[in-house]
Amino acid sequence: MTRFVLKRLGLALITLWLLSVIVFVLGQVLPSDPGRSVLGPLAEPSAVRALDHQLGVDKPLLTQYWNWITNFPGTSTQYQAPIGPILGPALRRSLELGLFAFVIVVPLGILGGIVSALNFGKPVDRTISIVGQSALTVPEFVSGIVLIVVFAVELKWLPVTATAPTGSGFFTDLKYLILPVIPLVLVLFGYIARMARAGTVEALESDYARTATLKGLPRGVVIRRHVLRNSLLPTITVIATQTGYLIGGLVVVEVLFRYNGIGSLTYNAATQHDIPMLEACVLTIGVLYMVVTLIADIGFSLLNPRIRLRAAE
Amino acid sequence: MDKHQARQLDEIRAERTELENHYIDELVAGRLDRRQFLRRGSMIGMSTTVLGTILAACGSSSSSSSSASAAGSSTTSGPAPTAGGTLNVASVTPSAAVNPLTVADAGGLCMLNQTGEFLIFDSNLKLALQPMLALSWGHNGDGSVWTFKLRPGVKFSTGAPMTADDVVYTFKQLSDPKNASNALSNFNNVLTPDGVKKIDSTTVQFTLESPNGNFPYLVSSDNYNAIIVPNGTDFGSWQKTFVGTGAFKLQSYTQNVGASFVPNPNYWGKKPLLSGTSFKFYASQQPMILALQGSSVDVIAQFTPAGATAILHSPSYKIIQLKSANHRELSMRNDMPPFNNAQVRQAVAYSLDRKGMVNALLSGFGSVANDTPFGPRYPSSNLTLPQREQDISKAKALLKAGGHPNGVSAPLFTEIYQEIPQLAQVIKADAAKAGINFDLKIESQTLYYGKATYGNSDWLDGTASLVDYGDRGAPNVYLEAPLTSTGPWNAAHFKNSEYDKLVKQYVAALDLTTQKQIATKIETLLLNETPIVIPYWIDGLTASTPSVGGLNPTSIAQLYLNQAFKSA
Repeated sequence: MTRFVLKRLGLALITLWLLSVIVFVLGQVLPSDPGRSVLGPLAEPSAVRALDHQLGVDKPLLTQYWNWITNFPGTSTQYQAPIGPILGPALRRSLELGLFAFVIVVPLGILGGIVSALNFGKPVDRTISIVGQSALTVPEFVSGIVLIVVFAVELKWLPVTATAPTGSGFFTDLKYLILPVIPLVLVLFGYIARMARAGTVEALESDYARTATLKGLPRGVVIRRHVLRNSLLPTITVIATQTGYLIGGLVVVEVLFRYNGIGSLTYNAATQHDIPMLEACVLTIGVLYMVVTLIADIGFSLLNPRIRLRAAE
Repeated sequence: MDKHQARQLDEIRAERTELENHYIDELVAGRLDRRQFLRRGSMIGMSTTVLGTILAACGSSSSSSSSASAAGSSTTSGPAPTAGGTLNVASVTPSAAVNPLTVADAGGLCMLNQTGEFLIFDSNLKLALQPMLALSWGHNGDGSVWTFKLRPGVKFSTGAPMTADDVVYTFKQLSDPKNASNALSNFNNVLTPDGVKKIDSTTVQFTLESPNGNFPYLVSSDNYNAIIVPNGTDFGSWQKTFVGTGAFKLQSYTQNVGASFVPNPNYWGKKPLLSGTSFKFYASQQPMILALQGSSVDVIAQFTPAGATAILHSPSYKIIQLKSANHRELSMRNDMPPFNNAQVRQAVAYSLDRKGMVNALLSGFGSVANDTPFGPRYPSSNLTLPQREQDISKAKALLKAGGHPNGVSAPLFTEIYQEIPQLAQVIKADAAKAGINFDLKIESQTLYYGKATYGNSDWLDGTASLVDYGDRGAPNVYLEAPLTSTGPWNAAHFKNSEYDKLVKQYVAALDLTTQKQIATKIETLLLNETPIVIPYWIDGLTASTPSVGGLNPTSIAQLYLNQAFKSA
């Protein structure tokens, strides 16, 4: 197991380095330049050159890359301020929102999928599937606006924005996060439920499940010990691959609910040609993604020892 | 005017300069209305008292306007002022560092004016220049040297006094071509660092590259980078302190999130009514509107009509509507087919339904324009020239006369910004009726502007190109950069020596009669040539809940809150 984890960590470091090179090189082909992004389209070319020089982006590419590596995470060209104090709180906010959504949608999705599978073909199954699939197709900016108008503007039950006043307690923070979490739950529920349903249906029809039933085990035990353990494997993979989206892909929800997470920070950095900030954001999301897939793989191998053995070989 | 008033006016006239008397003549003759007189008079440096006395002598009270009082005394009607409370303001997120030298976006410039002040305030509410840190100003006779007398007793939020040294430092830095100064686009060919000189501790002199009748606008809030900072300020780290002379001082600023301000105990003017202000940054307009509806904020600093119907037509919100010269400009390449023929360009102009555009795209919060930068915002404009209306048969005839009986096709490049993509669609649909087929290329702003130099920009190189221009107190920039032969933003590639000569004369002209005469010539020339099409002027909009009063916004997204209040 240790060897498995170490090997994965080694690969992760190489992947992150490659990622940093790719982002850096791709950043150079983006239109415009940092000086122009800050000063706007109508600024004098001499002013743009002066700012580019000040920011050091007129140096050779390798020198810029070296400067960036040695000063990591460095200074944002856009905000002319250190990256850490901007990225840190944004990451914390994204994690809070992502985790909250995760805690709600994962058990809900899995439960929905299992209930569907156990009622295969019956009205309950159809309802869960149709509701899940329909919710999946509603974009966040539509569901988000409807939620705000109903619950914040008309009923005034919940706040319009997701950012709680500074110094608020845990439960106040949660209250502010309820509205933005719902669109995420709507998008992810159908997806997770569908995977859990498919896995469970397949496991229910398998030989080992039939054998377990035939040898006289009660239905609850068959489902818990034999069906779920196998049916959840693909679901875990699906959940892990959604982490990138849940942490870094929430630009729409963040903008709509005025919740400044790492998603909109990354998007702004890309549009404003702020390469140090973009690198820091992409690498942070990359690290998170890798950690989560590693956890998923470990979970996977715990549920299925064959995977662990194969990986260790 | 009775005998007494006439005598009183004569007494005043005796002490006035030739130019000041010219404006008095215009007022008496009715060629300038009260507002325009205040505006022009304040620009050439006539004091509040003098302007008030002249208006009183002409039988026109100035008390309702008190035009030249310190900025911040808003005239917006509403509830009675109450002291105390924190005002929550929704503002667009500053897209870069809040650095007075480099700020170029609405969010950033709204932050600058929370603690910073200018020599002069260009008030959109009153359409007049008002003394801010300069008490009075005047020129040497031909407008090539301007002298500003500073307000005595002004202190920065640090407690240090503001003197001529601070003003000189600010303008030397802003006008230095070696600096990353956004104000260079205003000072290019107008002012160099050597032209800024301290005369004494409260007097500063500007020697210009060439005479400029509208120079006060370039040291006013119009030139939004020009807030006065202490001598020796490191602009890059200004955002840590927000040091300024304004009514508020910084409490906290968090990138991307918001900022809060508290009253500045060293402020020279009337103490603010609010006990604090809190700005919340929004990346787009819709959440701001929802936030106002959901009582999360009290004010939206600036917004556009598109998508704002919910608050525009609701009695639950107060809307401040400011007349502005904010506009869209469709330029057509005068140097390449099919637009190298003036008749083809005119055909485009006559194909457009401008009134329909104002109603559909601006919900009526704007007015039709006539393809020249001269509009109702500027007193020098000749508004009697016939307004172009949609006339499809005329457009078709022009196209035929221009050698294109079967119509023309051209790509039209534009940016994703506010209502512009929709405007491009409307232009395409209208022009198609006359046989002009625009192939729309709607791009992100970075792609569209590119490097913003000829050969590296779809904005400047496109056969047809649709761009936005923000409000300015004087039309000089609109006349020069996008239309003169050497202009850096000449997307139309319009080169006309007669035009260049007229613009030079207009810029140097000091009196309104001359400005009007030249403006008429420029307007006529532009209508004949039609290098560009300006379909409409867009009003500046600020919204608040009914309990808020005393807001003092400008059409370029500044918002002074000196006398703002929130009644319980």
